[in-house]
Amino acid sequence: MPALVEIRDLVKTYPRGARALDGIDLDIRQGEFVVLIGLSGSGKSTLLRCINRLVEPTSGKVLFDGADVTIAKGAELRRIRRRIGMIFQQFNLVRRSSVFANVLAGRLGYRSFFRTIASRPSREDVALAFENLERVAILEKAYARADALSGGQQQRVGIARALMQQPDLMLADEPVASLDPATSHSVLRYLEEINKTDRITVVCSLHFLSLARRYGTRVIALKAGRVAFDGKPAEIDERRFKEIYGEDAVEVEIGVTRTAEEERAEEARRLLDARTMSDAATDAAVAEHLGPGADR
Amino acid sequence: MAEYFVARGLPVPPELRRTPLTDWRRWSVIAAALAVLYVGVRLLDIDLSRANPEYAGTRIVSLLQWDFSILTPQNEFETFWDTAGGLMVVTIFLGIVATALSIVFALPLAFLGARNVMTGNSVGAAIYGMTRILFTVMRSIDVLIVVIIFSVIFGLGSAAGVFGLAFHNVGVLGKLYSEAIEGIDAGPPEAITATGATRFQVIWAAVLPQIVNPFISFSIYRLDANVRLAPVLGFVGGGGIGQYLFQTINLFQYNKAGLIIFLIVVTVAAMDFFSAQIRRRLV
Repeated sequence: MPALVEIRDLVKTYPRGARALDGIDLDIRQGEFVVLIGLSGSGKSTLLRCINRLVEPTSGKVLFDGADVTIAKGAELRRIRRRIGMIFQQFNLVRRSSVFANVLAGRLGYRSFFRTIASRPSREDVALAFENLERVAILEKAYARADALSGGQQQRVGIARALMQQPDLMLADEPVASLDPATSHSVLRYLEEINKTDRITVVCSLHFLSLARRYGTRVIALKAGRVAFDGKPAEIDERRFKEIYGEDAVEVEIGVTRTAEEERAEEARRLLDARTMSDAATDAAVAEHLGPGADR
Repeated sequence: MAEYFVARGLPVPPELRRTPLTDWRRWSVIAAALAVLYVGVRLLDIDLSRANPEYAGTRIVSLLQWDFSILTPQNEFETFWDTAGGLMVVTIFLGIVATALSIVFALPLAFLGARNVMTGNSVGAAIYGMTRILFTVMRSIDVLIVVIIFSVIFGLGSAAGVFGLAFHNVGVLGKLYSEAIEGIDAGPPEAITATGATRFQVIWAAVLPQIVNPFISFSIYRLDANVRLAPVLGFVGGGGIGQYLFQTINLFQYNKAGLIIFLIVVTVAAMDFFSAQIRRRLV
């Protein structure tokens, strides 16, 4: 099976001379949950943004489902972007607009100029928006202003907006870096769910190795714009960790405390058929770190 | 304080080394300011010897002895629109129409003058630069001068006032609008771009919702300022109640002039009050 995303000798040099990506070669296959790790400034965000060309690569190639993203122009580039959803650390919702309007905006790539200015979404788009809001368990907030929601809820709106694109690939740029640990798990479980049930490939950058181990099927570590590690989450031992993060680094764990919302997410996850023994084992490991207030 | 650093062998921070009385920089700024004031007073040749308090007193009294005949038509040829009240209404609308006209032109231009919308290629950067220069030029010519120039083109009257006022305001509103666009959160446009939307759709869905409130607020602020400016425009040929006020002053009809000034003050105060109410509700 050909890779969904093929990255060949990708280089990005920013105008002020910083070399964010220094020759990246990667194949990302359909259905993977790839977690990108690495220090701040190691190129994770730049790599993600080169895939949908929010950042213009300096040289190299990115192929998405066989189409060269790096040379696509105008309508062709937009058609590629339409198939790639993206969520962000700061959620990037229009704060003044309603949750519903924000989610509908995810469908703009499919909408004509006239439908845009007429502000008349089609019946199917509205139905899809409600479906996706229900999916991330936020339907009751549909008409609230986006900035009235908590961080975790806003990120779920972000996921619903990206799902409106009916994407084949979901990029997530530090999706839980602004969230507390319990909410982080809830958001990542939604990503896990769309990965497993919809077979949407996920490429997600994370700061916590424990989260990478828990959710990733594959971990790619970047160091100074190069791939420093690429393999199974379980293969990252103490020695590899120090190679990625430097000699002085100490691993920090992120635990879970159960909130009502968390319980619901857990319940929903239990209903998914895709659960495996290794998930349960990770959960047990995570639970070991539990304790009152241990999440911060 | 300085001893703390000296005792530890650390360099003493400059803030502690200078005291207000020995800081030569402070003294030189004060000296320069005094020199500028001295030169200014000598150059202006301010002369109080020509003041005439008795004459001024009688004039001020007549300014307060209002002649109410200007509020009603005085002969069969005059209508309400020739009275001071009618001219005041005309003047308010002069300000409103000029503001509306300037909004229509400033709105699209503001996007061309916003750095974050126009970045990407050299053509966009050039348009951005030219638009900003245009705003600066339009703004830097004072309204009164613009109206004088426009009265040469359109002749004396409301046309010169409306177009002159609008011209100046395109510069002011264009700058305010484009700075509001530059101040938006860049996250939502990035997210909407990522969905595969066109540049227009990005502006529509992610930029516009963020600037509606500042735009309304700036527009009302300019409407307020323009209604305040409109009465003055008549002095330089812009029409409206200002022209009437200018006539009465030139004809020494201070009883009429006083009432006209009062009408203007009431109008501006009312305008101030209402615009503050509306803007407060927006925030």
